[in-house]
Amino acid sequence: MAEEKKSLLRVHSYTKECIERYDGASSQQTKTSDAGPLVQMKLTDAIFDLCRANSLWPITFGLSCCAIEMMCCGMARFDLARYGAEVFRPSPRQSDLMIVAGTVNRKMAPAVVTLYEQMPAPRYVIAMGNCAIAGGPFAVEANYDVVLGVDTLIPVDVYIPGCPPRPEALIEGILQLQEKITGKRFPFPQNKMPKGA
Amino acid sequence: MAMDVEILDDPKHHRYVLNMGPQHPSTHGVLRVLLELEGEYAMELLPVLGYGHRCHEKIAEHKPAKSFMPNTARMDYLGALIYNHGFAQLLERATGIEVPERAEYIRVITSELNRIQSHLLWYGAYLLDLGAFTPIMYAFDDREHILDILEDVTGSRLTYCYFRVGGVSKDIDDKFVTSTRAFIDRLRSRFPMYEGLVNGNVILQKRLIDVGELDPKICSRYGITGPLLRGAGVGYDLRKSEPYSIYDRFDFEVPTETKGDCMASFLVRFREMEQSLRIIEQALDSLPEGPVMAAKVPKKLKIPAGDYNSSVEAPRGELSYYLVSDGTDVPYRLKVRTPSYSNLSVIPEMCQGMLLSDVVSAMGALDLVIPEIDR
Amino acid sequence: MDIKAVKTGWKKLAKAIEDVDYAVFGYDYSVSLEQSNVRDFATMMLDNGFYLVDLMAVHVAPSIEVVYQYAHVETRCRVMARAFVDSNNEIATISDIYQGANWHERETRDFHGVVFTDHPYLEPIILAEEDVDLKPLLKTEAALKDVDVVRRKQPEPKVETAAAKSQEPS
Repeated sequence: MAEEKKSLLRVHSYTKECIERYDGASSQQTKTSDAGPLVQMKLTDAIFDLCRANSLWPITFGLSCCAIEMMCCGMARFDLARYGAEVFRPSPRQSDLMIVAGTVNRKMAPAVVTLYEQMPAPRYVIAMGNCAIAGGPFAVEANYDVVLGVDTLIPVDVYIPGCPPRPEALIEGILQLQEKITGKRFPFPQNKMPKGA
Repeated sequence: MAMDVEILDDPKHHRYVLNMGPQHPSTHGVLRVLLELEGEYAMELLPVLGYGHRCHEKIAEHKPAKSFMPNTARMDYLGALIYNHGFAQLLERATGIEVPERAEYIRVITSELNRIQSHLLWYGAYLLDLGAFTPIMYAFDDREHILDILEDVTGSRLTYCYFRVGGVSKDIDDKFVTSTRAFIDRLRSRFPMYEGLVNGNVILQKRLIDVGELDPKICSRYGITGPLLRGAGVGYDLRKSEPYSIYDRFDFEVPTETKGDCMASFLVRFREMEQSLRIIEQALDSLPEGPVMAAKVPKKLKIPAGDYNSSVEAPRGELSYYLVSDGTDVPYRLKVRTPSYSNLSVIPEMCQGMLLSDVVSAMGALDLVIPEIDR
Repeated sequence: MDIKAVKTGWKKLAKAIEDVDYAVFGYDYSVSLEQSNVRDFATMMLDNGFYLVDLMAVHVAPSIEVVYQYAHVETRCRVMARAFVDSNNEIATISDIYQGANWHERETRDFHGVVFTDHPYLEPIILAEEDVDLKPLLKTEAALKDVDVVRRKQPEPKVETAAAKSQEPS
């Protein structure tokens, strides 16, 4: 590798800056994480929220073990497609939901924040698994590298505990996120109860 | 396919650096590869690790050795039972605890189920990287059957902590045996479907044959083990070469290929699934009665001073634990030698001059699990 | 692979060779090397068909010990070769002999601060670039143990053989 290109390997760690930028954002959660468009009309907002809730596009952001459960969720048995969320986009520009599935450490933290900031608003974050919530099994004294919870970096909408959480738990998290977006569980046109249940 | 050397030296052609990862659908985790590309040929590759580092080795120095078992599962979550096995074996050898027969059989059965599950996921994810969306659905469906069987007896779907020092934590029942036998029949009947689905596909053959060739000399210099080494023609499987647990009682083959390219390791992993089924069948046929946990396992497990090693065959290659003990129950140093770490280090030499899409093919054939590289 | 011929080759380079019980310790031979013989030993192992399993460091007093693990593919033979680093925490690299050692040595540098001389690219591999001085696996003063504490204890000499057996150095 050419000498001048080796500087590309430097990763700027601006974890502290992120914490200051989004300080307390998780506690002041509103329906969307920013001010919103200039002209707001209640009925169209409600319709757009229904549309967004029923077609969340997650970003492929599996970091470690929880990623496998996220993949299982998108497959035939636990089918996330019935809630409109099976289209995992590789690019943050085309997605509106970031499911942080796995452990974030100090080297990965700037990448998480960069990806979050590249997502267009309105965007939502689900912290999946104990590691993303609060460091999980790595929140011990000997730890020197794991960020204790992704909500120290970016505002989180829904927390899904588990190590790893079952795919059903992830589906429940998606449903809770839909409730957060629209104000009611199973927003139109979803059925209130699954058929045959 | 590599470019001719004359073009490389021509100063008119300039190269650019492209960043692949750490968030990328084909890197199977948080791996970053800096590619120096000339057009679409990857001239130099520089993997950057550490995005999933979770301080496992430091944590091992601060907790008793027995309670490190859940951490072993988090390193390679797809082969968690095998990681458990290696660690339990390490402590049992060091302290002289004997594992009852039934527990050994249960360990072998569940480990081989875990191996099949890992290979099925690799199969689906690899083909997804190459652009095929159907095989992963079928593979995950079969995988869910295995997870149901293992969940009944271990309690978890993914990061198992089922083995203990001295045996396993819970006994298996008849339901486990019948459902495993039913699963063996089911998977055997599905293999022709898997092979017919992709093995003869001209796109797969063009993308896999002659891509990323390894020979035994390169494997020796880099420490490559597992299906990659067996695809290169060396029949080295720790279950046969250094039989641990009760693997010497079972009759199974070690599939090898000769070419060492991606297709070779693809076929090797495929055939390994069949061999694992054979092992499970033989183990179920001769499953003895008895306890599943050793009689006396001290609560505070003091390990005599010295250094110990335990090597097992993980789905990705050779896994070795190296423990240095100072006589207490807390390890002085624990080093985990994971197979993907050595397998990935061959990338700069193997993929030099390859097309970018061939790099994706080659990396998928390595079967990487990044948290086990970063530990 | 003729193990006797290989052992003869080791005797020329090694300070001590110890036969180890595989059933308890999981490997066959423990070889102690001088710092200067590490490269010749590695070349000899490569010529005899061994592959490098692992390369790691253990922080003991008086100085860090680097352990190389080799294994053979055809016959079962697992070897742990040890060498102490010098007072500057330096030791020769073997990454031009075994290319797999390249990353293992970078990791050892990350965690223990061992500098491998003539390594082509000794930059942090697992830790972030700004953590180059972190060296997380170095022990604190209180936790650091002497090298004899972590060596396996030799079995007690039997009463029948009256003369005290001189203990083999590890």
